Amino acid sequence: MAQRRLLVWFGVAALAAACLAILVTRIELDSDVINMLPKGFESVQGLKIYDRDFEQTRELTFALRCQPQDVDKLEEFGPIFAENLRKQPWCDRVLAGSPMETPDGIRDLQWIAIPLLLNLEPAAFEQTISILQPDKIRERLHRLHQQIEAGSPRPEFELAFDPLGIIGPALKPFAEANAIEQEQPLTSPDRTMRVLLAVTNQPSLNAFECQRLMRQVNIFRARASDGWDGGPLEVLVTGRSAYVAEISLSMRYDIVATLGSSVLLVGIIFFIGFRRWLPLLGMGFSLLLSCLVALAAGLLIFGRLSMVAVGFCAILVGLGVDFAILIFGRYQQARFDGEEYQQAIATSVAKLGRAVFFGALTTAVGFLALILSGSMGFSHLGVLIAIGIFFAGLFMCTILFLFVRPRQAPQRPDWVFEIVKKYVRWSVQRPAPMIIASGGILFLLTVIGFSPVPPLHFEASARSLEPKNSRAGQALQAIMEKMPARWEPVLAIVQAGDAEELHDDWQKISSHWAALQEAGKIKGFSTPAPLCLSPIWMEKNREHLRGVNLPTARQTLEETLSAEGFSPDSFAPAFKLLDDLQAVIDPRATLPDWRTQLPKSSSWWFLVDRYFARNPLLTTGFATTNEPVTTHAQSEQLDRDLRVRGVPVILSGWSYALADLQPWSHRQLLIISALMALFDIGLLAILYRDFRLWLIQIITLAFGIGAMIATMKLLSLHLNLLNVLSFRLVLAIGVDYGIYVVLVWQKTRELEHDVAGVIKPVILAGLTAVSGFGSLGWARNPSLSGLGIACAIGIFWSLLATIFFALPAMAAAKPKVWSGR
Amino acid sequence: MRKLSPLLFILISLASVVRGQSLSEADIKNLLARIAERRVSSPDVRADFQEQKTMHLLNKPIVSSGKISFRAPNKFRREIGGSSASITVSNGRDLWIYYPNFKSAEHYTLGKRSPVDAAIAAINTALNLENVEKTFQITGRKVATGYELQLLPRSPSVKRMFQKFDLLLNSDLVAERTDMVQPNGDRIVTIYSNQTRATIPGSTFEFTPPAGTAISTPLGR
Repeated sequence: MAQRRLLVWFGVAALAAACLAILVTRIELDSDVINMLPKGFESVQGLKIYDRDFEQTRELTFALRCQPQDVDKLEEFGPIFAENLRKQPWCDRVLAGSPMETPDGIRDLQWIAIPLLLNLEPAAFEQTISILQPDKIRERLHRLHQQIEAGSPRPEFELAFDPLGIIGPALKPFAEANAIEQEQPLTSPDRTMRVLLAVTNQPSLNAFECQRLMRQVNIFRARASDGWDGGPLEVLVTGRSAYVAEISLSMRYDIVATLGSSVLLVGIIFFIGFRRWLPLLGMGFSLLLSCLVALAAGLLIFGRLSMVAVGFCAILVGLGVDFAILIFGRYQQARFDGEEYQQAIATSVAKLGRAVFFGALTTAVGFLALILSGSMGFSHLGVLIAIGIFFAGLFMCTILFLFVRPRQAPQRPDWVFEIVKKYVRWSVQRPAPMIIASGGILFLLTVIGFSPVPPLHFEASARSLEPKNSRAGQALQAIMEKMPARWEPVLAIVQAGDAEELHDDWQKISSHWAALQEAGKIKGFSTPAPLCLSPIWMEKNREHLRGVNLPTARQTLEETLSAEGFSPDSFAPAFKLLDDLQAVIDPRATLPDWRTQLPKSSSWWFLVDRYFARNPLLTTGFATTNEPVTTHAQSEQLDRDLRVRGVPVILSGWSYALADLQPWSHRQLLIISALMALFDIGLLAILYRDFRLWLIQIITLAFGIGAMIATMKLLSLHLNLLNVLSFRLVLAIGVDYGIYVVLVWQKTRELEHDVAGVIKPVILAGLTAVSGFGSLGWARNPSLSGLGIACAIGIFWSLLATIFFALPAMAAAKPKVWSGR
Repeated sequence: MRKLSPLLFILISLASVVRGQSLSEADIKNLLARIAERRVSSPDVRADFQEQKTMHLLNKPIVSSGKISFRAPNKFRREIGGSSASITVSNGRDLWIYYPNFKSAEHYTLGKRSPVDAAIAAINTALNLENVEKTFQITGRKVATGYELQLLPRSPSVKRMFQKFDLLLNSDLVAERTDMVQPNGDRIVTIYSNQTRATIPGSTFEFTPPAGTAISTPLGR
């Protein structure tokens, strides 16, 4: 390579060009936060189905928040804002208040009364339709007239809504099934906040469409307070599109912030260590090329990369630089020892190539183990880093030397090396004090780490996955604070083959859940059961309707209105209803469907869309639990309680899914980390073939992990569903430092020359890895930042344990005579 | 410019005397302050009433009469006699309407922005007038027997209940006549007589349905 530099350059250029071509033509990023969760869980699949197939995902929630003295102004301004919102080209529908409080909402219900009437259980239908018997018509209207005279407000709204007396019973199941939904107010109790829901017409929910939509929404928001003459008015917006737009935009920030800070910190550390610009540039180039190759390979393998995978660049920089530091450090040492350029390269690669290979192997295996998480995002991250780390190792042994000038004078030992040398000499000659001091501290931290007190908190809320400083998240939080507390219900998703099956499934579920509610096992529920039409019931009820004398009912109504002094004009809807009933009697007429009768602009669609996906046979119901779902035991109990034998149902919801995933997360923490530890233990045994050195290394790893957990406890850094993955990474990376030192210790005859020569690069490598992972702390994506911070802490302690415990321990266990040059 | 006819001048002058003297904003504030003082010193009012309700549902107006007892700020009892007798009782939180003829009662919870709140608001506005200036734009004039006030709703929530509300107060500052028009065009004119400010027992404003009464909650809450 040193002899054919031009050829290597051509090869590098060709590789870079091929990778860039793949990148430009194939780049497609997935920004769905659900894809961060493991896919093998039904509850997660349920979230995906709800997110993908239900119209509600196109819903934006607007909230107007004013000062307490402006509540009356807000009440007047609310309808103006709603009207302006309706006029926006991106807005399909707006819900500004309960549909039952508006004349249009009541009229819409009257329109869908016939299909819901025919969909009543046949016995209930017969009882309801008996109201059309002449005697009953006369008796009802007479009673209502008397009640009006007695001063009751009831007949007025009863006659306005249901002049014939059959709409109420027809809608009763619908009203009962939606009681919980209707209790959800759109105005806060102190009246300082009004909430409006808007369904957008965005053609797709991808990141770019969401960004485009939110640009338009923000333009609207900027002038949304036109016409408002009160004090400060906040216009808050939240919803899936708001989140996706923010998350996808924050990706750009995350890439720049994490990669930029990582490169900067790593560059500074490298320069402090070697005070050379050109090799620094070569290292940067090699790392960039590794990233490019990994990204291109990832796109070829997966087709579409998760957004969280963008964090791999910063990690790769932090890890890949280890190889550069080690290889270049050894090269410098060889040059200082008097070797020529080519010979020094050969020495460096020959001496450390094995360590680099095993270092890359353990790190790659650690990251590849992320595939076992089942999370698409972390699987991509793991595979990209595994690929990248191998290429980084390869490039550091080859391309890096293209940036090293053959005639450059060797670097003289610097102050870093001098300090390291003094420390190595002291700790090797008198290892006991250092073992006692460092071992004592690390042991104490390990005890704290593994003891149940203080506890390491596990955060399983959806907020732990939200982007930092998210405006959509803050808006949601503000709304939740103002509105009466109601926690997220459990979703039950049912997909049926046909309408009758769907109807039967929901009838069974509704009656089962009603029994659960009666028994106090759930607080309440709402289901689409009344809206799931049964062709069998409807046909049977139509048959019964044919036996009802509708012309007589009409005549009786006319006569009674006249006799009681009612205004016939006010009863026009009653006559229309009789006409509609007459029309459906015809057996040739198709059975009525509320979907075609409910106006497209109706506010009731907001309710309907909660239940029905775009495919009308895909539906969801909601069960409100007695308390928020936070533990796996609760999710298990709900799984047992809510299911109905013979009805395939997917239970889901964010709270439910996160509670459901807790064992998975603990498994990731314990079992997968344990497997990683076993791999390391086995590998080290083969590599060292020395029990005492092997044991020292295992204790060092345990100290690193223990101190990491203790630090997280003491700094109140919580574990979450995703940063538990950091433990295996710390094991994978932390073991490398031991490998570098132990392999040199086993073979060295010149302690100062060899051990001090490797300890300095190990310190620099550890610091760069800490910087690389720590840089992820800048990311707005909480999964990335949480993982980065946890790994940075773990690697920091692994490095300290290697330098201050493993080295003196080896000196004590396998003493060597100090010899310096 | 043509000269104003002396006859026309006399007619206009007479008309202004008959219409009464308009109240300035300060006068209205002063009047409301006096009403508030009276309310504090004697919060109870009892009166007979006659009501004419014109509804879009019915061809002819409904006329009813009875007695009303009111205690500021929001308790009342209203008894209608005759063939369509009823007793309406509110303790400020709940509203009961009892129909002796049907042996049935309706129970409503107040303050839930339901249609029944409009009916309560009308009685409270007429007999209480507390903080009325916050929810209504008030104009008025002094007339021979007291004061005539015209109340126009300010906020959308009150506009949903009233289109307009006219109120005639006697010299004792108690309602003598109210004329309320609702947004759907329905109109209720109530004439009060034999008003007294004697203390009313607290039990008047509590209601327990007699045994055997069928109770319903029409609004389901």
